[in-house]
Amino acid sequence: MNHEPGTRNPEPGTPMLCNEILDAIEPIAAGEVMPDDRIAAHLSSCPHCAAALGNARRLEQMLQARPVPCAPAQFTSRTMARVRRARWRTEQFLDLGFNVTIGLVLLAILGGVWLLMHRSGLVAVSNDAVDLLGAGPVTLARRVAPSVPMYAGAAALLVTTLGLWWWAERELT
Amino acid sequence: MQAVNERELVERCRLGDERAFQELVDRFKDLVFGLIARTVQDRSRAEDLAQDVFLRIHRGLPYFRGEARLSTWIYRIVANVCAQDQARREAMVSLDDDRVSGRSTPSVLDRGFGDLELRDRLEKAIVRLPANYRLLIAAHYLDGVRYEELAEALQLPLGTVKTQLYRAKQRLRQVLETELK
Repeated sequence: MNHEPGTRNPEPGTPMLCNEILDAIEPIAAGEVMPDDRIAAHLSSCPHCAAALGNARRLEQMLQARPVPCAPAQFTSRTMARVRRARWRTEQFLDLGFNVTIGLVLLAILGGVWLLMHRSGLVAVSNDAVDLLGAGPVTLARRVAPSVPMYAGAAALLVTTLGLWWWAERELT
Repeated sequence: MQAVNERELVERCRLGDERAFQELVDRFKDLVFGLIARTVQDRSRAEDLAQDVFLRIHRGLPYFRGEARLSTWIYRIVANVCAQDQARREAMVSLDDDRVSGRSTPSVLDRGFGDLELRDRLEKAIVRLPANYRLLIAAHYLDGVRYEELAEALQLPLGTVKTQLYRAKQRLRQVLETELK
């Protein structure tokens, strides 16, 4: 039964096409499909399809026998070094971002305090403070006492900011 | 038991345990490297890509929900890394067809040499396959990689994976037909 692949078998009653067989060659060669009677009959009578199945089986064996390349000896240590470098870079980036943010926040706070002092006339008070330093401690305490809550608030704000900074640095490292 | 160990390992990695991640690299390095080396041929590039895979695993572990098996998730990362590398290479250089087009008549000196040459031709024929076929061939013939896992990793229907694999083998067979006779 020699005929061109892809043509219908000449005998009536055997509707098996070579194309149909050739489509099923790979699953048959891999042992995933068992050839039924019709396919088996065709394979035994069609040298082209039989040869294709033989080749597919040989290819299957070769693919299964392909060597599996093993990772190089130092692969783990080199990978871990790369992971550490990548993590370090990420931390540096986060650190820089955090520091810039904190710097901007501090700048905003200082600007706000300066503005507040100007608006409320506290600058004049600070100027007076210089004069007060020359006066006696009792006079100094008497003059400064009304502004103590504001200074205490500013100091608390500063300490909180620095504390947050320290905490975040510790978390990152 | 292994699934439990795997979950524990992932959990330890998530908590920042460097030794756990090292254990993970040790456990999966041959699979990842083997898969990539079978796909890209060049060993040093394969190592670079395999390291890229582990870097992505390290970055992605906090987001790994454990719905798929760890190995399936890793296959998916390997597939993405290989596809991106392929796209990058295609954009950078035109493929040098000479390495595969310089076909010569198979040697008939001896059977051993013929087999070596046939294996060499098989590797070259695999290189000529589209990237997705190449990865399927590489992954399917590694131990323990099932169709279902491949389908899940590549996010393709099971039937599509099987069809693509058969087509890949069909192409290889057609390329090697004269040598296989």
